[in-house]
Amino acid sequence: MIKKFLTIFFTLVGLFLLPQNVQAANYGLSISPPLLRVHIKPGKSITQVFTIENLSKTDQILIASIVPFTEADRFGNPILDPKANANWLSFFSLVNSQIKFDQPFTIAAESSEQLILSLSIPETAPLKDLYATLIVSTYDNSLNQELMGTSLRATIGSNLLITISSSAFPDTILKIEDFFPIEGTYLKIGNLYFVDSITPVKFTATAYNEGSFTAETKGVFRVSSNNKPVFMQGVLPINVIAKSKRQLTNTDGHSFVFSPSIGNIGTHQISLEIKTENSNTQSTINVFFLPLKLCLGLLLTIIIIISIQKFTSKPQEKID
Amino acid sequence: MIYLITSTCCLYFFTTFCPLPTYANNLNSPTFEIQMGTVNITGGRKSNESGSIILTDTVGQTFQGQFNSAGFVILAGFQYINTLTPFSFKISDLDIEFGSLVPGTPSIQSNVLTVTTGSAYGYTVKAIEDHPLRMSDGATTIADTSCDLATPCLQTDANLWTSNTRYGFGYNMSGNDVDTTDFVNSNYYRPFPVQNIDQPAIIMSKAGMATTSAATVNYKVNVDAIQPAGTYQNSIQFIAIPSF
Repeated sequence: MIKKFLTIFFTLVGLFLLPQNVQAANYGLSISPPLLRVHIKPGKSITQVFTIENLSKTDQILIASIVPFTEADRFGNPILDPKANANWLSFFSLVNSQIKFDQPFTIAAESSEQLILSLSIPETAPLKDLYATLIVSTYDNSLNQELMGTSLRATIGSNLLITISSSAFPDTILKIEDFFPIEGTYLKIGNLYFVDSITPVKFTATAYNEGSFTAETKGVFRVSSNNKPVFMQGVLPINVIAKSKRQLTNTDGHSFVFSPSIGNIGTHQISLEIKTENSNTQSTINVFFLPLKLCLGLLLTIIIIISIQKFTSKPQEKID
Repeated sequence: MIYLITSTCCLYFFTTFCPLPTYANNLNSPTFEIQMGTVNITGGRKSNESGSIILTDTVGQTFQGQFNSAGFVILAGFQYINTLTPFSFKISDLDIEFGSLVPGTPSIQSNVLTVTTGSAYGYTVKAIEDHPLRMSDGATTIADTSCDLATPCLQTDANLWTSNTRYGFGYNMSGNDVDTTDFVNSNYYRPFPVQNIDQPAIIMSKAGMATTSAATVNYKVNVDAIQPAGTYQNSIQFIAIPSF
């Protein structure tokens, strides 16, 4: 009897008081800051701390490395080739005592670790931009032999835009391209756009950096009539790396939109002005606002009325 | 003497009762300290009453002076985002277990990818596999899907995969920041690009600030009756990178 009681008792203790924490292996990591911009003179060094936080409930073995890149898409996403190499990667190092590039390290569950990135530019380094992404990946050197399927690895990154220059603001050559309306009611004759004055009109534009150094797009989208501004909206400041294009947007990250009022009739100038520290660029398009939809509706009504009148006033044939 | 006393009193009065505001801050971490870091005096989003003029500004940076004196300037984060919050990426399950496969009966497993952009302005998540699902001999594989015969799919172009007589391994996406013009519904699949051969494929992306975005990845495998029995494995890497 006692034996039976003890068996039941220990079974219950095992079931309810000592539950096994069974959960699917998950991954969660955060990195801060997500972007680092540095202007630095040759011969100087800087140190920046990146905080990596393990958001999962299990310890994570990670590996950190620097991947150089030279290209990015129109939205500022670097095109990374993990196998890419560059001789200037030796300018970067981790000054942590325990963590080094390309060597695994562990972050305990729900805790964080600091990666102390050092950048030392030699005196003889050429004056140019360096672009790289600090990536932190899950490290797995052993595969679960019983897994029939796919094991996932994850990588998170932070972008590094480094300008090596002897002056704070090296020369930049920024151009505005492909500035035109994309939505709304309009027609283009020559260089003049005829735009409906009661429909919002949306504009697109890109910035092209012809220079060798990153430029930031600080500027304004302006609608003017007789040299007086009717509407102004800020341009989202974004980094345009050398020899690349970026889509320009308003400060909300959307296309530029102007909603004309009934009073906005006649010629207007719609301009985008970008200012960097040592250069300005502007692109202007001429727009003639008129109640295009109303005019078309009116024209259609007149045609219909004339047609009806012609049809009804047709002389009746004489019937003998 | 009277002038000296008067001057001293005035100086004491003004320095005590009318102190000028000074803006500087010491930045420190466990490993370093930067003294007198620049603090922005003002900045933000401004508009007129009618809302026809909306502009942002930042006042107070001493970029030029700081660069000339120190030889460097560090800008961490984005000028137009007030806080410096982390960029984070989560995967709900790292092991996608298909179990025993039945020929002609697709096995579908899923997990969730979650991205929090924090103070980044946009991001992309890309995916790439090390190789197709294969046995430990390294030779026997389950090929990556090419979808239905009439609707072939590519690594960057999803298409219909509904036929149970079409075999292979592929994935479908749904949820936030997924290209729904490509992954039209849960029957649209793509094969994974292969490492060292292809470029990683974009599976989630957002231009602009987002709070938290979550997307479900559905992994599908279907084999025919002549597929050799055994354990097939591969590894898929998801790469989450913020925009700049």
